[in-house]
Amino acid sequence: MVADSAAYRRIATLMAHEGLLLRRAPGPLIGYTIMPLLLMVVLQPTLERLSRVSASDAGGTGQAAAGMAVMFSLFALKLVGADVLQERTWHTWDRLRASPARLGDVLIGKAVPLLGVLVAHQFVIFGFAVAVFGLRPAGSWWAVVPVVVVWSSCVLVLGAAAATLVRSPAQLSAAGDIAAILTSTLGGALVPIAFLPSWLRALAPISPGYWAMRCYRGVLDDPAGVPMMASLAGLASFLVLGLIVTALLGRTRRA
Amino acid sequence: MLYTYTMLIVEGLRKRFGTRVALDGFDLTVHPGDVVGLVGHNGAGKTTFARVVAGLVALDAGRVTVAGIDVGHRPREARAALGWAPQELALYPTTTVRENLLLFAGLNGMSRRDGLRRARELGAALELTDVLDRRVRELSGGQQRRVQAATAMMHRPAVLLLDEPTVGADPITRRALLATVRAIADEGTAVVYTTHYLPELDVLDASLAVVRDGRVIARGRRAELLASVPGRAVLRYDGTPPPIAPSLHERASVQIDGREITIVAPDPAACVARVLAQSREVTRLSSVELAPPTLDDLYRALLEPAEALHGR
Repeated sequence: MVADSAAYRRIATLMAHEGLLLRRAPGPLIGYTIMPLLLMVVLQPTLERLSRVSASDAGGTGQAAAGMAVMFSLFALKLVGADVLQERTWHTWDRLRASPARLGDVLIGKAVPLLGVLVAHQFVIFGFAVAVFGLRPAGSWWAVVPVVVVWSSCVLVLGAAAATLVRSPAQLSAAGDIAAILTSTLGGALVPIAFLPSWLRALAPISPGYWAMRCYRGVLDDPAGVPMMASLAGLASFLVLGLIVTALLGRTRRA
Repeated sequence: MLYTYTMLIVEGLRKRFGTRVALDGFDLTVHPGDVVGLVGHNGAGKTTFARVVAGLVALDAGRVTVAGIDVGHRPREARAALGWAPQELALYPTTTVRENLLLFAGLNGMSRRDGLRRARELGAALELTDVLDRRVRELSGGQQRRVQAATAMMHRPAVLLLDEPTVGADPITRRALLATVRAIADEGTAVVYTTHYLPELDVLDASLAVVRDGRVIARGRRAELLASVPGRAVLRYDGTPPPIAPSLHERASVQIDGREITIVAPDPAACVARVLAQSREVTRLSSVELAPPTLDDLYRALLEPAEALHGR
């Protein structure tokens, strides 16, 4: 019991400190929150018309909101990467490892606030779509919650993996931008998947963004038409894969 | 807190990085209240030793015990008894000094209230009171060094490892830091203090451990170690120096260069007395310069034996 309370205290300390770090450098997060809102204002009318003209569910407000949420959460992946990377450049990661905290305590203490930020980021985007464009899910809002959480966890893990691969903030920025555009475009976040060239549509399932979009579109537009659990499982498989890759990369780096 | 046993036991540490041998049978013991100055060339193994004790480097062989706890078997408990300030600055620059201190207090199980109290104490001791609420990145290099040392001292560790804590520090920083380290040692903490500034070890009343090629090659109190190091005397004459008795050559290294006699011996003063006793030409003697061995001489004698005798 004593050991448990000490671990909780360490985790609480780390979470509070991580929150401080995020609050002290809010610029990128503000950028990744405002940009999708602006883009949604521009894209929503076009996607709405596209939906009517094509007589399909490919466009619409759901596509605009989900597309921006997926695309800019992938950009926000750089926040996670930068957070991990700065622990290395500041040499503080070794200080954390040399403390009595378990590796698991440190990872939880750092990951939970970051996950909270990623989740909140997506809810702000969907909240904007509700307030400005009257977005209403076809099913319950509660169905959005597991998708937001799993997708945010996926982004978190991918960000951590990216940080183990790059050597500098500049590398992270360049690689993060390219990966975000590639993953979100391939996933149908920028342009509805139905309007992508056929060869890109064939490749789309290799993008985690594709599965996130499937989940969101399923919840927002057609809960009956999309096998939600299968899509969520597809998304979760990227989370598991990301965890394994990150653990392996982290172990290689420590060695 | 009063400790009654050996606080740090390091036995036979061996560590290779590829083909490079970083530690090659490193042994060290430190008792409560002792300050051990770890000196040696760059790359001698000092920092690797510190990282091993901090649990950051896996050993090829050997054993480390901190406050009676085996680092290999119970690493977290051992780390709880350890305070480590690495050589490079390792602080969160975007948070304040107080927030940095509270982080390390919390990681070591201290309550927020105790952490705040300890932060005030260390702030006062290290002359950081005025900057406790300033962000670390806004501080001078010397202030950042003191903050780093303070993070390692927050939880009053049983063993404190400070790896070159005064690099680039100004005299004020150095004085405050040394006084605080001495004070924490007086409370019972065993301190290992790595440095290239040997006079600091006098201020700390530290014993020495000289490291070369991954092992401790000499260990002891300053006076004990200096006793084995030759001192130097230089006698200058107005004219040609007198001849030197052969018996003196047997117990000292004597060089005559023009009007100057240089004697290198464990006790140079006694040798000078012998020269003067044997010579009737004291009137031509213009000056005598006695240089008893210093820590620098010891360092050089141990680490650069070839040039230690006449190279000074």
